[in-house]
Amino acid sequence: AAEPAQAADQPKDLVLKGDAKCTGCHDETDDAKPTMLELHPSVLSIGKTKHGTQADGRTPTCTDCHGESVTHRTFRGSGDQPMTDRNFRKNTKTSVEDRNEACLTCHQGGNRIGWQMSAHGSQDVACTSCHQVHARNDKVRDKLTQTEVCFTCHKEQRAQINKPAHHPIVEGKMTCSSCHNVHGDNPKQLIKASTNETCYTCHMEKRGPFVHNHQPVTEDCGICHQPHGTTIDNLLKSRPPFLCQECHNMNTTHQGQPFGLPRNRASNGSGFSTLATVGRGCVNCHTNIHGSNSTEKTAGDRFVR
Amino acid sequence: AQDNSVTELTQPDSTVSVGVGNWTADRHQQGIYDGMRDKGAYGLLDADITRRDDATGTWLKLKASDLGLDDRSIKGEYLRQGDMGVSLEYSRTPFDNPNTFTTRLLGIGSTTQTVSTNATPGPLREVNLGTKRDMTNLGVYKNLLPGLDFNVSFKNEDKNGDRAWGLRTAAPTQVPSFATDPINSTIRQLEATLNYTTPKLQLSGGYYGSWYDTQNTLATIYTAPASGPSYISLPLDNQAHQLFLNGGYSFTPSTRGTFKLAYTRATQDEHLPTQDVPGLSQAGSPQHLNGEVNTTLMQAGITSRPLKELSLLANLRYYDVHDATPVNRIYTNGPCSTAGNCVDNTPLSYKTLSGKMEGTYRLPDGYSLTAGMDLSNQDRDIPVSNAAGPGGTDTQRLVPFRYHLNENTYRLALRRSLSDTVNGSLTYMLGDRTGGTYGSSAGSLGGVASTYINPINIADRTRNKARMGIDWSPAENLSIQFAIEDSRDNYAHDNPYGVRNGNAQLYSVDASYTLNDKWKLDAWYSFDHNQAKQLNTLTYPTLTKDDNLENTDNSLGIGVRGDVSARVKLGADVQWTQNVSRYQQAINFPQTANFSGNLPDIKSTLLRLKFFSQYAIDKNSDVRFDLIHERWKTNDWTWMFADTTTPFAYGATTDGTTVTANQKQIANFIGVRYIYKFH
Repeated sequence: AAEPAQAADQPKDLVLKGDAKCTGCHDETDDAKPTMLELHPSVLSIGKTKHGTQADGRTPTCTDCHGESVTHRTFRGSGDQPMTDRNFRKNTKTSVEDRNEACLTCHQGGNRIGWQMSAHGSQDVACTSCHQVHARNDKVRDKLTQTEVCFTCHKEQRAQINKPAHHPIVEGKMTCSSCHNVHGDNPKQLIKASTNETCYTCHMEKRGPFVHNHQPVTEDCGICHQPHGTTIDNLLKSRPPFLCQECHNMNTTHQGQPFGLPRNRASNGSGFSTLATVGRGCVNCHTNIHGSNSTEKTAGDRFVR
Repeated sequence: AQDNSVTELTQPDSTVSVGVGNWTADRHQQGIYDGMRDKGAYGLLDADITRRDDATGTWLKLKASDLGLDDRSIKGEYLRQGDMGVSLEYSRTPFDNPNTFTTRLLGIGSTTQTVSTNATPGPLREVNLGTKRDMTNLGVYKNLLPGLDFNVSFKNEDKNGDRAWGLRTAAPTQVPSFATDPINSTIRQLEATLNYTTPKLQLSGGYYGSWYDTQNTLATIYTAPASGPSYISLPLDNQAHQLFLNGGYSFTPSTRGTFKLAYTRATQDEHLPTQDVPGLSQAGSPQHLNGEVNTTLMQAGITSRPLKELSLLANLRYYDVHDATPVNRIYTNGPCSTAGNCVDNTPLSYKTLSGKMEGTYRLPDGYSLTAGMDLSNQDRDIPVSNAAGPGGTDTQRLVPFRYHLNENTYRLALRRSLSDTVNGSLTYMLGDRTGGTYGSSAGSLGGVASTYINPINIADRTRNKARMGIDWSPAENLSIQFAIEDSRDNYAHDNPYGVRNGNAQLYSVDASYTLNDKWKLDAWYSFDHNQAKQLNTLTYPTLTKDDNLENTDNSLGIGVRGDVSARVKLGADVQWTQNVSRYQQAINFPQTANFSGNLPDIKSTLLRLKFFSQYAIDKNSDVRFDLIHERWKTNDWTWMFADTTTPFAYGATTDGTTVTANQKQIANFIGVRYIYKFH
């Protein structure tokens, strides 16, 4: 809207220090309650957020992020009003770098030190692509709604988390950011320096080291597991025995055995060459597949004890 | 009235909701984590209470979710913004095994279990297995000086319960038998960080410690008719201490450098419990592993935009996981030159030097072109302490090992952004993994000649991947997204067996249409398919099997939201997912009489319909109704005999524990809750 007549009445600040130059127009009568259209989100709701806490001397005012925007504020003519100097709308002409500078001026520290080096940062993702700065509840910072934001781009993971074997993401007990620092420059933008270090934060029993280490376990959990979800128990990437046969092969007893189920209970006792598909697969016998601490002869090194 | 209106729009608000819901049937598969596996009524209690004292900038927050359920969580926070804060959180994550176990196993929940025999049967009963993780997290924040913050977090997580487990019974039977894993243990993590932030320089350094503390170190399983019990080792206590320092410096507004340094010392030095069992260990074998893994991370990078149109990125990373555990002989059966006779503990180390370079040039009309290269060079180490000596044939292990790996990935991307109607990107990646010669494993360890396989994680591989994404906004109220991905892996045939090639495709379309201020519709469909082909052999070189593994997923989601009136909101969601797995194998040798051979495809389908209606009773209170219809069906034969209908039962020489997979689930939920809103 054009600068209203009451501008002459020196409107007072409504939310932030010095916001009157903006809230003179974007006041409570102009402010939209959230609608489905989301084209005109609430401006004043920033007051509900940490950015709206005036007692914190670091809190910015409107122009710190949007620029002085003189042409926008002083527009009196007909036709389209010029945008603010720095604009965050969906089809904005403000460059990503310029938009992000508004945030990084204060938020470059901590976990965001490596933002420019990160996969997101180097591929022109804007902070506001994910964050709703004016909203009381920023979707991406709420564990129940975060995935909606991430799945805007990560379609494969959206399908994976609904598979039978999954981490409790759909149920709201984990989020993408439980494992990923989306502002960081670690490989795969993980919260820790490697896949294994990340997994150990919850699965520390797998860290070992063990008397008998299983080589791929020490290298990368992702060799055997797909953490976003699979159709196979324990988030395995492939079904035993095929998974194990990616590395193990050829033995007259059982390692290269075909895929198939035992016919009945009696056939379970016919030797271990029939039991790498049913139930827990190869792990039916190789119980300690992540590593064994047994010193028992001919037992621990094959992970059966 | 004006002030009240402004207050409503600018002051933090709170909600508390109380209700009750009922599931009409058990949800064996869909209820594994949400604390509502069993049919029946559940209390629904959630709260999100936020108070702020504007004069001091002090926040008081209380957020509680699912307090009436087993997956409850609650977090309280006191924060004087910009000064200090304290938070305390509790969260429980349950896991209920979707299968039903009918067993005679005795001692479930303990470290001494007895697998009953047919001759001396224990009581047959149905057992539901599950675990619970109870996490408590204390966080403290303090601003020490302008730009200098201190954060400390202490997390304690207790994991209790029983996991479905099993073992190979002792000689003479040596068949799988059912047991339960006594997992009771605690994970503790302490992280203390100092963050220093100025407009140009940022530093973040501190300490991260983590401890695994188990209650059980050895499981003793009696499996008659063996002469004695089987002893299954369990993970032992371990701990790690890390010091880290990360930094960034903006040399100019367009040039920035970053670095990371971290050193971690992880140890596992608990007494090995099998040493306490007479006759189980070789004399002189170690009582403690004295395990020690030291990890060093050094990383430096620079990003710059020397021209308005050009941005550059370069990064170098050194990551060294060094297992410094001393090598000791665990057992000796005879001359070490004979495969399998001499077995040591097996420390493995990986030293990776990787680099990344990327440049983006911005073209007219919002286009940009990116070219990038990732280079990785890895040295891998495992001691070969057998008679063959370092570099010789390893008579201890089964699988070839590579001491050196290189992997290079090249990327080219064309992206269009800043357009009102069509944005998108097209990316092509080429990855190439090679390595040094294979350190061959034993020629005939237990009849194995594993030198003939290409292990998937170290085999030479060429990866081609293309990705296209389009974001089209034909109108202000309509946006459509398309995503297409295709990936193809080819593995070299240095050795004849292992995975030969694989491919994956993803096609996805999303649409969002806002009819008007009151109604909005979202819909998406996603198709993905992946396939792997691998070749294995039973007896080299004549008996082989050629496997073709496929997985196809179709997923669909539809959501609608509407404001019927000023008081009534409606919403509905449809989610449909279907996964089909195919396991095709061509075998050139006869199958045994006890073996089923090829099996039917596994198809799993989930349909979930959700509907809600929320009615505003007055300005401060709503009432909400939820209806859910959930259908799950699978023909997964993982726990079946070859007829794919009879539940699997452990073998004739054990207690015959039967595992019943619940393949079909239809359940309805109705819930009503009262929501109170206040400032």
